[in-house]
Order: sequence, then structure tokens, then C-alpha cells
Amino acid sequence: MTDLEAPARAGALPPVDAAPYAFPFDGRWSAADTALLLLGFQAGAVQALNAGDAVTVATDLLAAARRAGIAVIHVRRGAAEGAARGVAGVAPDAPVTGSPAWALVPALAAREGDLVLDVPGDQAFRAPALEGVLTTSGIRNLIVAGLPTDGLVHASMRAANDRGLECLVVADASAGTTPARHAAQLRITTFGNGLFGTVAPAAAVIAALSRTTP
Amino acid sequence: MTSPFWPGAAPKSRGAVALVVIDMQVDFCAPGGWIDQLGEDVSATRAVIPAIARVLGAAREAGIHVVHTREGHQPDLSDLPANKQWRTRVHGLGIGDAGRDGRILVRGEPGFEIVPELAPVAGELVIDKPGKSGFHATTLEDDLHRLGVTHLVITGVTSDCCVQSTFRDAFERGFAAAVLEDCTAAVELPNHAATIEILKADGGRWGRVSDTRGFLAALEALG
Repeated sequence: MTDLEAPARAGALPPVDAAPYAFPFDGRWSAADTALLLLGFQAGAVQALNAGDAVTVATDLLAAARRAGIAVIHVRRGAAEGAARGVAGVAPDAPVTGSPAWALVPALAAREGDLVLDVPGDQAFRAPALEGVLTTSGIRNLIVAGLPTDGLVHASMRAANDRGLECLVVADASAGTTPARHAAQLRITTFGNGLFGTVAPAAAVIAALSRTTP
Repeated sequence: MTSPFWPGAAPKSRGAVALVVIDMQVDFCAPGGWIDQLGEDVSATRAVIPAIARVLGAAREAGIHVVHTREGHQPDLSDLPANKQWRTRVHGLGIGDAGRDGRILVRGEPGFEIVPELAPVAGELVIDKPGKSGFHATTLEDDLHRLGVTHLVITGVTSDCCVQSTFRDAFERGFAAAVLEDCTAAVELPNHAATIEILKADGGRWGRVSDTRGFLAALEALG
């Protein structure tokens, strides 16, 4: 019997209604092979981008992911106070590590068992641990949300795709530096049947997460 | 010394500069290539060939390093992610599948080759890459360090895909980069325009957006 003919494995999740295609591409996902990647939900960024709505949506998404037992990975942008910014891979607006602006917003705070990673630039895989953790944990699917869509979120999805990881970006749990840039990066994501993955609202992800095969 | 062309300090010498020409391959920008066989329009990606030929000529004359990249996969497709293959198959013609003149984006096939107008010459670096970023799973970063290159001038196709990935990655890896707006294009104009707007925002988060004139002036300034 081939794998395709096998009955749904215990813990298998139904496809997420997404565009341009249902996530994941091969229909195979479960809590064991999926991580929720929360990118840059830090106090300073939330304030600067006026991203309160995205935080509210991401909070519901995080709760659903926790109920389903999905691994949660938080990525924070930051650099030391004296570090030069805008050069050598340090983002121009990287918050000072340890400052109030750098902290994760309370609604999306890390819990014991979550992975928390720090990057100086705008790309999650700059954290040396990320790729290894995903590989050794058998994670092949990523649900991605964060700030800003046109910075850390999009660059991280590009890097994930080059590594063969299957990505869904949660549109309403992310916010761009402007609404037009947010929309443009999602349009580029979906070009050619999903150049960098597929896009869904949080409600579609939460609906799928609540219907695990017993 | 600062310059209007480079982000941060200007390069110390011509030897610290590389012109990077991304994926100017038959499959992306010539009649009969992959994009053309998909029924999409290659006029935009073809239109930048003369502008890139001009900066390539200037780079060769100035003696700066030249790097060409080619996107493609091993003939056994061992480096082709399953989702990348599936998405392109559903889109109409899959990477690795047989097209009219050979397999799509496979190393050694006719569509994988760089268009003749921009063919590499002896001494130029040719980087074959399986991903969108020129830095992913290639020797590019090591090669640039070995050559003493600190500053990149990025051209090629497509602006929204491999050019954007390589430009962002150049910043993350500590290189100073400028992309030449008149030497890059996408299949669809809205995605090109949005990419350029995003890369230019706030004076350029990951580097500068300039053009041929800016590049020629910057070369001149290097003496």
C-alpha cells in the first residue's frame, strides 16, 4: 500500500483553505511536523506599525496552535546598544536588545517549551539554531505571521522556501510598513501558483486546527 | 567616503566591487524558454538585456569582478524541493519536466543557459543555484570573500523573485549592495513596481536602488 492510500494518520490535520492553493501542497500536516513561526511581535514594532489588529488575530492563532500542540517559535529582532545599524546585516531600526521596545508583546509572550530566537537583521534563518531545530524536529510545514510583512516576514519565507519548507502566511495576523506593501508582498508570494507559498486568514487556519483526526 | 550610489561607505577599490547578473537565462527571458512556454510575456525580462549588456561592458572595461548566476537543478532533481516542483507543475509546466527544447531549469539543458547577448567570458564567476537567493546552497559568499569583494551591484531577473532574494540576502550577509532599476524586470509590471517601491522605502533598508547612470558615475569615482 502506498502512502497516498493510507488512512489518515492519527493527528492528521485537514487542509487549510488558502490561496492560491490549500495548505499544505501535499495535504500532509500534523502537529508533529508543523511549527508556528511568530516573527517580530515586539512592543516597538507593534506601536510603530500600529499593528494592534494583527496582534489580536495572532493571539487567537497562537491559542489554537497551543491547543493543537504545535511547536511555537518566536523570533525577535534586536542588536546591542552600541552596534552600528544599517550596515553589516544589522537592521537600520533594530531595537536595543533588552529594551522595552524589544520585548515581545504580552499577548504573544513565550511560554516554557517555546523556542525564542534573536536576529540582528530582517531574516529569521540568521538565527543559527533555526534550521537545525526544524530539521531535527522533523518540521516541514511553517505557519508564518509577524511584523512587518515586507521585512522579517517575507524575507524569512523566502529563506524557508529555498530550504524546501512549505509555508503558509497568515495575512490578517501580519502587518506591513504600509498596507500597500503588505498587499504587494502577499501578491508576490502567490505569483505563479505560490512562488513562496500560500496565503490564508487566521480563521481558516484555526478552523483546520480544530478538526484533528482522532 | 560616502557616495550617493552606495549604502554606507564607498568601496576601497575597484577590486572590492562585483557586478552580479542574475538568472539571465533562456528559460526566463528568451522566446521558447520556460516563461514563454507557460504562455507568459517575456518582453519585460528581454527588454533589460541591452541595459545589462551596457553595464556588463562597463564592468569588464573597468576590471571589476563579474558574477553570473543561473537557477537550475541537478538532472536527477535531488536538489529540487517537492513543493517547488508541485507548484510549477500545477501552474502549467513543472521544473524538471520536458519542455519543447529540453527540461525546464535543469543544469546543462538549453533553457538553463544564459542568453547569448550576456554570455559569461573567461575569468567571470558563474554560480549555479538551486534556490532564489544567489547565496543559498552556493559558494557565492565564500567566493566573494576570497576575491575581497565587499560591494555588489545587482542586475538581472526577476526583480520580484531572485533579485529581491539575493539583494536582501546580501544585506544579511554583510555586503553593501545597490540594485540597478533599469537593469532588472519582472514578468508582471505590478510586482516589479511594488518590489522597487519596497526596496527603495526609507532610503533603502537593505541597500540602494540606483540605475545605469549612477553605476557609471560610481565607477568613475573609484578612479
